[in-house]
This record gives sequence, structure tokens and C-alpha cells, in this order.
Amino acid sequence: MSVRQEEMARRLGVDRECPEGADTVSRRGFVKLLGASIALAGLDGCTRMPASNILPYADQPELTPGIPQYYATSMVLDGFATGLLVESHEGRPTKVEGNPDHPASLGAAGVYEQASVLQLYDPHRAGRVRHRLGTSSWKELAAVLAPSTLRARVGAGGAGLFLLLEPTSSPLDSELLDRLIGMYPAAGVHFYSPFARLNDSLLPQYDVSEADVIVAVDADFLATGPFHLRYARDFAARRRPEASRGMNRLYAIEPSVTVTGTAADHRIAVRPGEIVPALEVLLAAIRGTPGQRSGPGPDWVAPIARDLRAHGDRSLIVAGPYLPERARALAHQINLALGNIGRTIWFSRSPLLGAGDERHSLARLVDALRAGHVDTLICVGGNPSYATPGALGVASLIRRVPQTVYLGLYENETARDCQWMVPAAHFLESWSDARAYDGTLSIVQPLIEPLAGGKTSAELLSLLLGMPDAHPYDLLRQAWRGRGNFGDGSDFEDGWRKILGRGVVEGSSFPREQAGSAALTPDAQRQRSLPIEILFRPDARVRDGAFANNGWLQELPDPVTTLTWGNAAHLSPATAQRFGAVTGDLLDIQSAGLTVRIPALVMPGHADDTVTVHFGYGRDGSEALARGVGVDVYPLWPDGAFTAGASVTRMPSASHRTLAITQPHHTLDASKPARAMTLDEYSRLGPRKPSRSLTLYEPQASLPDGPARQQWAMTIDLGACIGCGACMVACQAENNVPVVGHDDVVRGREMHWLRIDWYAARSGEPATIAQPMLCQQCEKAPCEYVCPVEATVHSSDGLNEMVYNRCVGTRFCSNNCPYKVRRFNWFDYSAGLSPIEGLVKNPDVTVRERGVMEKCTFCVQRIRQAEIAARLDGRRPVREGEIQTACQQTCPTRAIVFGSLTEKDGQVARDRRNPRAYAALEDLGTEPRVLYLARVRNSASEGDRRK
Amino acid sequence: MAQLFAPRANVVVRSVLVAAGALAVCASFAVWAFARSPAATGQYRRPEQPIPFSHPLHVNALQIDCRYCHTGAERSTMAGMPPTKACVPCHRDDLLQTSLFAPLRQSLSSGRGIAWRRVTSLPDFVFFDHAVHVRTGVACESCHGPVQLMHELYQAAPLTMESCLGCHRAAAAGYDRGRLTSCTTCHR
Amino acid sequence: MNDRAMIQTILAPLDEPPRLWIVLVAVCALGTLLWITSVGYTLWMGIGAWGNNIPVAWAFDIVNFVWWIGIGHAGTFISAFLLLLNQPWRDAVARMAEAMTLFALAIAASFPLVHLGRPWFFYWLTPYPSTMGVWPNFKSALPWDVAAITTYFLVSLMFFYLGLVPDLATARDRLTGTTRRRIYGVFALGWNGGGRQWRRRRAALKMMAAIAAALVVSVHSIVSLDFSIAQLPGWHSTIFPPYFVVGAIYSGLAMVLALAVPVRAAYRLEAVITLLHLERLAKLLLTIGLLLVYCDAIELYTAASSHDPVERAMHMVHWPFGPFGWLYWTMLALTVLTPQLFWFRRFRCNVSILFGAAVAILMGMWLERFVIVVASLSRGGVPSKWHDYVPTWVDWGILFGSLSIFGLFFLLFLRFVPAAAMGELRRSRFEMLVETKP
Repeated sequence: MSVRQEEMARRLGVDRECPEGADTVSRRGFVKLLGASIALAGLDGCTRMPASNILPYADQPELTPGIPQYYATSMVLDGFATGLLVESHEGRPTKVEGNPDHPASLGAAGVYEQASVLQLYDPHRAGRVRHRLGTSSWKELAAVLAPSTLRARVGAGGAGLFLLLEPTSSPLDSELLDRLIGMYPAAGVHFYSPFARLNDSLLPQYDVSEADVIVAVDADFLATGPFHLRYARDFAARRRPEASRGMNRLYAIEPSVTVTGTAADHRIAVRPGEIVPALEVLLAAIRGTPGQRSGPGPDWVAPIARDLRAHGDRSLIVAGPYLPERARALAHQINLALGNIGRTIWFSRSPLLGAGDERHSLARLVDALRAGHVDTLICVGGNPSYATPGALGVASLIRRVPQTVYLGLYENETARDCQWMVPAAHFLESWSDARAYDGTLSIVQPLIEPLAGGKTSAELLSLLLGMPDAHPYDLLRQAWRGRGNFGDGSDFEDGWRKILGRGVVEGSSFPREQAGSAALTPDAQRQRSLPIEILFRPDARVRDGAFANNGWLQELPDPVTTLTWGNAAHLSPATAQRFGAVTGDLLDIQSAGLTVRIPALVMPGHADDTVTVHFGYGRDGSEALARGVGVDVYPLWPDGAFTAGASVTRMPSASHRTLAITQPHHTLDASKPARAMTLDEYSRLGPRKPSRSLTLYEPQASLPDGPARQQWAMTIDLGACIGCGACMVACQAENNVPVVGHDDVVRGREMHWLRIDWYAARSGEPATIAQPMLCQQCEKAPCEYVCPVEATVHSSDGLNEMVYNRCVGTRFCSNNCPYKVRRFNWFDYSAGLSPIEGLVKNPDVTVRERGVMEKCTFCVQRIRQAEIAARLDGRRPVREGEIQTACQQTCPTRAIVFGSLTEKDGQVARDRRNPRAYAALEDLGTEPRVLYLARVRNSASEGDRRK
Repeated sequence: MAQLFAPRANVVVRSVLVAAGALAVCASFAVWAFARSPAATGQYRRPEQPIPFSHPLHVNALQIDCRYCHTGAERSTMAGMPPTKACVPCHRDDLLQTSLFAPLRQSLSSGRGIAWRRVTSLPDFVFFDHAVHVRTGVACESCHGPVQLMHELYQAAPLTMESCLGCHRAAAAGYDRGRLTSCTTCHR
Repeated sequence: MNDRAMIQTILAPLDEPPRLWIVLVAVCALGTLLWITSVGYTLWMGIGAWGNNIPVAWAFDIVNFVWWIGIGHAGTFISAFLLLLNQPWRDAVARMAEAMTLFALAIAASFPLVHLGRPWFFYWLTPYPSTMGVWPNFKSALPWDVAAITTYFLVSLMFFYLGLVPDLATARDRLTGTTRRRIYGVFALGWNGGGRQWRRRRAALKMMAAIAAALVVSVHSIVSLDFSIAQLPGWHSTIFPPYFVVGAIYSGLAMVLALAVPVRAAYRLEAVITLLHLERLAKLLLTIGLLLVYCDAIELYTAASSHDPVERAMHMVHWPFGPFGWLYWTMLALTVLTPQLFWFRRFRCNVSILFGAAVAILMGMWLERFVIVVASLSRGGVPSKWHDYVPTWVDWGILFGSLSIFGLFFLLFLRFVPAAAMGELRRSRFEMLVETKP
């Protein structure tokens, strides 16, 4: 039964013909759902709604069944907010988009934001308050933690009370914590997550768009970190040679291959140990003083130094967050010497609570735990039992605490170690607030009542304050009423309405701070020379493990390696050869006294004698999807540093594990589907001759009800695309693309309609060209004429239509598709879904059944809806920009442009005239409606010659 | 040696062959006819409703416009069903107390909608938009039939793809036939 | 050996089959169970039960299909062509070949059906007035496949039956047991062996032969279009129609040989199917084999002289040295070298060599289809989507299952139908005897 019908059933409670959806959802879940929808549909009193108003984003009409609505909210990662707009169908959020008004998003969304909506409907989420093994209730917990009872335990000052929270920038949390400290002055409050920047009280802010030359030192600032969406946008804006301000140039100095590295004009693979010396030489070269105490340094330093000095204060050194203190200090000195401070980089106060304050660190908590000072430990979010350095042994310490409470989404490792488990509310179910990386105030508002009765951190804190029944909405309003947060200081209700509508408070970012000229601390690790260095990094998909139970992310191919469903130890070919290992061979890696067995992944471009491992796998909680996927490398992680010494041994050749890699072949063949060129070659390009015909059909005469029908087309700028993968998840969410699992990925059956192909010019080189590959919507489509039942045909507006319900599944179309963008439903992938999982499906797109072919449709559902909308308001044609495909809308770099060829001076038409424009496999004469703009490299030598 | 077959054997065989041929022809015609018959399309199917709601009464006698209850018809993909509470204002309490309205009272107390049976139902893979049809001059009757005369609501149209295409292909001048007959107009 | 003796030898198995028969039936029955299991599992689970993937969306399913269709060509070739060419020696093996054709076709037809993602909608490939107001896509080769194969099957069936009638009559008259004789009698359609009947039958046979001869060429040409209308390097080639027809007849003749040799031994038919017949078949194999080599060469030449580097890479790199390179070379060895034995009379007259060679050629032809279908697909399209192929137990189950079904059908055929055309044999024995004189 299609989600569409389920939805009808759910919305109206009518139609006994299709009630599976309705009847088999867990009672609570269902009543709330039905409630939410009915209430929104105006069928019944507002009893079931989140007991307070939600205002639509823009000025939406009152809700009508069948018309989706958008609400502004924010997703918080490591304490930093990213503003979102969430599409809601009769009370069930189905799709996440970026909030154009939010500084961290600018309308874009990353993979985590896109996939968050799947997490909301995760059937494995914790659904009950648990005490030890038995079901309990919020009330009982309230009784246990009531100030009176708790004081008796932890002493009047609360010396035995300790809180461990995820990093937070929420003013609401901070206010409640202040009141808590007021109540328990001696209580310990600690913040932790593996990658949070809790040590820095000042945060560097970059203006990437101002920089002509950027040097990224082990910094993946384009794809990770709180502001990466914004940085990627600014960076890409100057990757187009047409750009008025000229192209910027990016040097990447990094040990492992990152997205930023592949986007760089010059990428230098260095061992972690070599970074600090190199930076010293660079600093010396910039200052003009001959490099003291470090010799000439590697030969790549001099050219970079020359380039940097040539561009003076229009350059930028980005130091990665995982670098040792000294390296970051050196980078700062270089920026200082170049005069970048205040131009391309400045500093502002960290919005994180307790940032830079040793007293709030995990280390202090561990000390207290070891000393046995902790009587009651309250873990708010995070997963300390799992995501902490193995050396600390946090899990066992937590188990020893007399009374422990955990608020989390899942019954994970930490939940298992705690006596009390309280299901947390997903952010799409929560009222809260947070600050962006630059301090901008953002709102977190729910789209649906907690499906599993989850609680927010604010609720837990207010429970500790003796207000167990306080509603987060009231708490939030009180907090905000208290502080006149609204810049104009206007009336509260107006401001409140405004922020609920827009999601952010304009002009609430933190002011620039005077940069402390970080003193150069003597380098600790310079002396030690390590045989093998091991790098610890967040995983591009499951991060620190928090998203490990998210099928969309598990199956999202890792950038560059295209690895799915698991992690591996990345090594350079040379190093792998030294161990006699090939991709998939198991290695024993020893570090911090512990050994972990993990498959190798040979990666051209990786630094030699260095191994990169990623956190977040080998989960052991109750998250069914995540369990046993990949290998847990936290045990190897020594306290603090993200780099360590390790010893690696190859297992006997028998032990091999097949990795679920979606793209085994990276070397371009003669067909050259992806193209890159140097600036010189670009300048020598002639104008592009337009393709012969636009459509297979007679050009449509102008019709009384409007001009000729639009002819849809897309251009993708390979120069701008960095291959972050956000578009893949966006597409999956928008088009109900199923998840197939590890084994079928190994068999080559992943279902992504849009994939990112990674190509290397020659074998043995790192794959540096990222090419989003989707249905090219050929005007002369090879798939169409071979289909025996006309299941794939051409529409009059130039779409290559796929009619699922007509398809009999001969798969001839896929065989004849040179781009291999068609996907086949080998099994009934949607059959196993629980009704709750079904709720994430987009009701505007058919859920495909077993045995039919499917593929990208240019989000035809969006096109048709826009056409209908246009017709309803007076027969005007659809305007350019009125339709955004899912991939285009979420793309941080705006590499994807969609529009109609009939708009002669529209962006698409202009891009198609661009000399860089080309069609993939042009020789076949399929005349795709998707054109690519070849990537242009602004390599230094070129630049010099042109000067 | 005894004869294996009686003289009439040949006649039998021939007639059997003829019969087989005739049967084949008839059968194929029967299939063709059945596929278009109400038995297959569900045309004139009148599912029993929890409350015997009479459209003639409300439409003719009380002169209530379709859109009073089916509010979405002009704005949304689906016409929408009236909330239970919409019935209450007009109906006198003593009437509501009758057994006839038991489902309605139950719905009011439980907060769950009345479980009307769907009469006009399209397959899951067909995306029908009420608004655009109604607003471009397609009368409700053309698909739903003379509702104002149906004491028991029944499916008026065969609702086969042919019946949809019938209109879309014969669209009046001024309509973009290419647009109306593109597969993705209905199948997404 | 006089006519009476010959007829007895041919009719003998209808009375009591050799002991071996029971054993073989049992084996084939087991294999058939395997087929039912595999196909049932596929229908239950979906095509995912196989090793297919993107890009290799066709694999064993289509390889087997083409292979079986090919085998289904020899029957009509021998009957129709050689009949028209007045080659009386054909009569000895024609019946067996025609039966083989029918079974092979039936089995072949099952593959495209089972390989559909939604087999229950197979009838959408046929043009009929549907309530959806849409028709099949006549630009695609597949609806024509359906038409061609159905036609070919029906014509072959009639052809086979027409040839069979007098022998059924003979069975009716010569065998014992009223019921059996009645059954044979019904199917004999009251044949009384009058001269008029013989003449008319002869005329009808010639006429049908003319039609069938055309079909032999058309069917596999159309099957070859399933590949050659595609743009895929390795498929996109104008030589495919003749190439496929030749390959089909090649494998078909090999199958005839592979069946004739053991049957003739087991059923003491040496006098009916003489060494002469086998030798002629061997010569025919050699000729067709050389034709195939010619086609191979042309295909390679076309690719080599192509200006499309991708096309060249497919034939020069991916086929010979790609993941399935070793299969490619095996295929060449089996299909090209084996028939060269038949330049020598002593090999042509050695039944065990003949049998071995026939089996080798059959395997070679299967591999040839595998290389064309799988090796091309696994390296077609953009390099990012190159992916290898590994069959599952279901794939193997269906392949060997189909062989067993074929065996079962054929054994039943030997049990209940005269294995050689007694009527024709009687007519042509004289000429044969003359010819065999040294």
C-alpha cells in the first residue's frame, strides 16, 4: 500500500481498505500521529498538537490536507546550530532543507541535516523510561531526583552531583544550569563530545570569499566543522574562472585524503609529524628571516610562501581542529605575519558553555569518578561509555557510580551502563534554542509531538530544579522573555512571532574579539619520531557514532573512497605494500596498549607510514542497524591527541573482508566522462557550439494558456562541486529511495538515483574529480527505444519519464544506459519497513515495488506541483527558480543549476553556452539535458605565467 | 482384428477441432468484455457507510454546496472530508441521539474520525489533483456522477486509465495536449 | 535389414525401454525438481536471488535463453533446409532433431518470462486492446522476440506433427494393447497410408519447410537484435544477425550429434542412424564452424578498425584480458579448434570423438553467449559503474535444471514416439544403400 494511501488513512481515519499503516503502529505512536495530523487538518480540536502554537515559516495559508507546510528550526551538532526549514505533510515532517536566513546554512544542508528526518522515525529509538531492567516513569524519576531527595544523597552543596552534557550553546540550557548551580553550588558540570572545540574560548572565523590564496593545513573546512556549508559556498563562488574577482587558489597540506584536499589546486601529502616543522619553515619564509632551527624544509614550502607573500593580506591559513596546539599557533603567526587577521580571519567568543574552562572538561569528571566523589551522575545526550578514549575506561567508571541517569535517543552503550534511561526527544520534537558558530541565536521548534514520549535536556534540568512538569515551550518563552533577545528590543510577542517564523535572530552574532597572539608553546612531539603514525578522524557518515543507526548515512558512500557500511584503515599504496596488504586485508593495529583488527583500504594520495582510522563503528548498543557494522577504534585513542604512534601487523593472508565499496574503478577511461583542465587550457577554449536540437518533439507553438512549454535542463559545475554527498541524501529523502544493506551494495545494487563518481586522471593518483552522476535526461535516450512496454518515454517538456507502474522489469533500459544511472528493485525493499518507518516517505512520490526500474526524474513531482500551482494562480508559466530539485536545493556550493531552456537568459541557458560546458559521453549523441562544466585548476605555475 | 474406432470417430474429431477454435475466439472476446465491465472496474460499487448519509437530502433539499464539506476541492490535491464537528451545528441534539448517529457520537468522544468507506478510489501510483481539475472547469459530476441523486453513494466512473485518457486526449483547444498526456502528469 | 526389421527396431523402445532409461529419467526428474526450486525461489524473492546487478542486469537468464534458442535451430534446419535440398539422409535424424527443437524452444521461452521483474505482467509485451489505452513499444526488439519465438514454436510443432502422423499410424497398427493403440490412433488422425495421403503430406511438408526455412533465419536474427540495437560496446554490431544464426545452427547441430550418438547406441539404431549420417553431420559442423570463425574474425576486425576507443577497448582489452578473459579464451578454443578435428575422416567416424567434440562445442557456444552478455555489460558505460558478476546457487540451479528438463522431455519422447521417420526411411533406404557403396 502506498504511503499516499497510508497517509489518507492516517489523516482522516477513513478507509478501512488500507489500514495496515494505521493499525499496526504502536498505540501511543499512532494516537499521537493521528492526533497531530487530525489537529493540523482542522478536523478536531487542537488537543493532540504539541500543546502550543507553531507558526508557519513564511505567510502560509491555513493548513489544508494535501498542501505541505514548512517550519523553521535548527539542528545542533557539537553545540553549534544550523538553521533548517522542514517540510511537513499533515503533521509529519518528511524533508529537511537549509534555512536561507541562517548564517550556518545559507539555504544549504549537509548530510547529517538531510538524514536527521530518518532518525526521527527510527524504530530502534528508546521508547520508555527505564530503571535498571524494569519499565519506570518520568514521575518516579522525578521523585528520585526531587531536590529534597537528591540533597539527602549528594549533600546540601550537591558535592556528589555531577552532570555530563553534550556541548551546548543554548541560552535556555545555560540559564537552567545557572539556576541548578545556584541550587547545588558544589555540583560538577562537564561537557564532552569527541570533536567539540571545548578548549578554545575564542573561535576563528573565516571569510573564505575574501581570500585569493588559501592554505588548508590538515583542515577539511569545506566538508566538516560547524560552518562548513558557508565556507564551501564562499569557496565555490570563486572557483568559476568566469567569476569577476578571479579564481582563488587552494593548497591542501594533509596526511589523509579529505574532501578539501581533493578540491585543492595543489595537494601535498605529509605525515602528521612533518607538519609543525614545515609550518616553522613557512613562517620563517613569510617573515623573510632565514628559517632558524629547522633547515631548508621540504621543497614545496618555498613556492607556497612566495604565493602567500604575493597576495599579502588576501590570503588565509586554515589550521585544522585536530592539529597539535603548536601547529595552530604557528598558523596563527603566519596569518598575523601576512596581515590576514581582521581581513580573512578574525576571532569571536565561543558560544559553547564552559568553553576553554578546564573545570568543565571530561578529564576533571574522570578524576572525580576515579576518586569516587560521584554519587549521582546525569548524562545528558552523547554516548560517553562508547565515544571516549579507551584509555580512560569511562564505561567501567560510570558503572561504578551509585546512581546514574542517561537521557538519550537510543538504548546505547551508555544507557546500558546507567541505571536510569530516559528517552530523549529528537530535535524535530523539541522546543529549544541554540547559537550558531558565530553566535547567531537560532530557534529549535518541534514539528511533531514526541513519538516515543521523549524529553528534552531542558525538561531534565528543570526536573532537577524540582519542576518535573514544566513544558519546554513555557521554559523557552520564560527564558526569552527574561532576556530581550530581539535586537530591535520591540514587543516580545512580535519578536517571538518573528523568530518562530524566520528561525534566527538577525544581528545576534558575537562581536569580533581582539586575537590573543597565541604564544608558541615548545613542541611536545617534535622530538619523538614515530614508525607509524595513526590519525583519528570523525567518520564522514556516522560521525562519532551518533548517526550509526541511520540507514541513509550508513549507505552513503564515503567521499573519495566510496566505502559504505563500515570503516577501514586508510593507507598509502607504498605503506600497504610494505605490509603486503591489499584493500580488505585485515590489519592488527596497536596503539595505547590496545589492539584492534581492521580491514585495510589502500588509498592513493595518503601520506606514507601513516594510518587513518575513523570513529563511529563497531557499535554495541541496541541500535539494530549499527550493531556489528565496522570496527570500534575508540580503544586505540589515547587521551587528547588526534594523532598517535601505532604499530601495524598484517594478518595471515587468509583473513580478508569484502568492503562494500560502490566504486571499485577510479581511473578515467577513453570515454572521459569527467573533465578537468588548467587555467591556460581554459583560456584557449573556443566558444561552445550548441547542440543540434533541443527536443525530440516538434517545437511547441505558443499556446493560448501560455508560451511554449518549458524545456527542463540542468548544469553541474565540476569546478564548484566538492563531492560532499549532501545531494545524495537529499535525493534519497525526496524520492523515497530505499536502503539495500551491506550485501547488496557488495553485489552492486545500491539504489542511489544520484551518485558521486570519483575519478583520477591516471591510476595510482588520488581520485580528485567529483562528478555527480544522475539521469542525464537524454533527448535521444537509449533507454527509451528498447523498453518493450513504453515504461520509459519522453515528455513534451523534455523529461525522460519513468513510469514505475508500467514497468515489467526487463532491465533492457539499464543495459542500454551508458551512464548506468538506472536502478532496479531486486527485492521488495520497502516491504520490511515498520509503519513508523513508512512515515518518512514522501507522499508525492510512488513507493516502487519489487521488480521495477527506477531513476532520477528531475524531481518531476516538484515540477508538476509547481505547474499546477502556477495554473491555479492565473495561468502564468512557471518562472525560473520557482522549481528547485532536491539536490540543487541542498547543494552547499550551488554547483547544480536547474531551469528551462526556454528562458534564453536564464542561468541554465547561460551555463550551456559556457565554453567549459560539455555533455558526458558526448560522442554517443544522446544529447543529455544535463551538461557539466569542466573543472578548472588554478595551479600556481599557471598563475605565475599569467602575471 | 477388431476395429479401434467406430465409423463416427471422424465426425467427433472434426467437431472437437471446430469447437476448440470457436471456444478460443469466444474466450478472447469474453476477456475483452469482462475487463471493461463493472465487475472488473468496480463501477456502480456502493460500499455500505457507517452512517447512511444522503447527498440528495443535503444537496437538493438543504441546498448545501459541495465545497461546504469538501473544502479542499478547489485548493488542494484532495477534496477532503468534513470534520465530525461540522455535522453538529446543523443537526438537532435529539436527532444526534438516535442510533443512526452512533458512529458520529463515538467519533466525537473518541476524537477519531468517522470511518467512511472510500467510494472513488484510484491506485496508489496515480496522483490526482482535485484543485487543478475543478479550477480548470472539470465539473465534479464528470467523475463522481450525479451525486445529488445518489441516496447511496456509488462509484460513477469506471476509473480505468482509458477513461482518464479519454478526457486528457480530447482536451479542448488552448490546453497543451502534450502536457496533459505526459505520463508524469499522473504517474510520479 | 529389411523394412519390417527396421520398423521393429524403431518401435521396440515403445514396448520396453532399456533399463538405462529408468535411471536417466530418475536423474532428470531430480534435476527438474532443482529447476522448480530455483525458479520458485526466484519468483518468491525477486530477481535479487540471482547474481545480476547494475551494470550486469542480464546474465545467466539471457545467456541460457540465447543458448537454448540456438539449439532449437538445428531441428528445423535439418528438416526444412535439407528437405528442400533433397538430402534424403536427413530422415534418420530429422525426427530426433525436430523433437529436440520443440523442447529447446519451450525451455528457452521460459527464461525471458522468469527473468522479468514482474513476470505476472508478461502479457503487456503482446499487442492487445487494453483498458490502459497503451500499446507495446514496437521500436523495441523484445515484443518482436515474443512474436518470433511463438511463431517459430507453432510452425515447428505443426511441422513435427505432420511428419509424425504416418508413424503414429504405424504404431497404431503394429503395437499391442487397445488403449495404447486407441491413443496412437487418435493422434494418427485416421491415416490409412493411401497414396493420395502420402502425396498431399509430401506437398504440405515441402510448403511448411519453405516457411520454416525462412523462420530459421528470422528468429535468431531477431533475438540478436536484443543486443545489436543497443549502444553498448560489444553488443552494438551489424554482423550480429547472421552471426547469431550461424552460431545457433552450430550449437543446434552439435546438440543433435550429442543426442544421436548415445541414443543410437542405447537403442541399437546403428542400422538406422548409420556412421554415414554422423559423418555428414560432422562435415556440416565443420562447415558451419568455419562460418562462425569468419564471423568472429569480422567482428574483431570491425572493432579493431573502429574509431571509437571504447569499442576497441571492449574487444581488445576487456573481453580477452578483463575479469572474464579466461572464459573468452576457453570459448575460442572450444568453438574454433574443436571442429578442425573433422577435417579427418577417422575422427568423423569415431563416435566417442564425435560425442566429445559435440559437447565441447555446446559448452563453447554457451561461453560465447556469456562473454557477449556478461563481459560486455560488466565493462560497459562509465568506469565508475564497472562491476563484476558472480552467479548464485539459483543461477546454477536454473541452468542445470533446464538441462534436466530437456533430458526428461527427450527421454519421454523416446519412450512414446517413434524416434526415426519410418515412412521417409522406407522411401529413401534404396538411395542410401547405393550411396554408401565405396
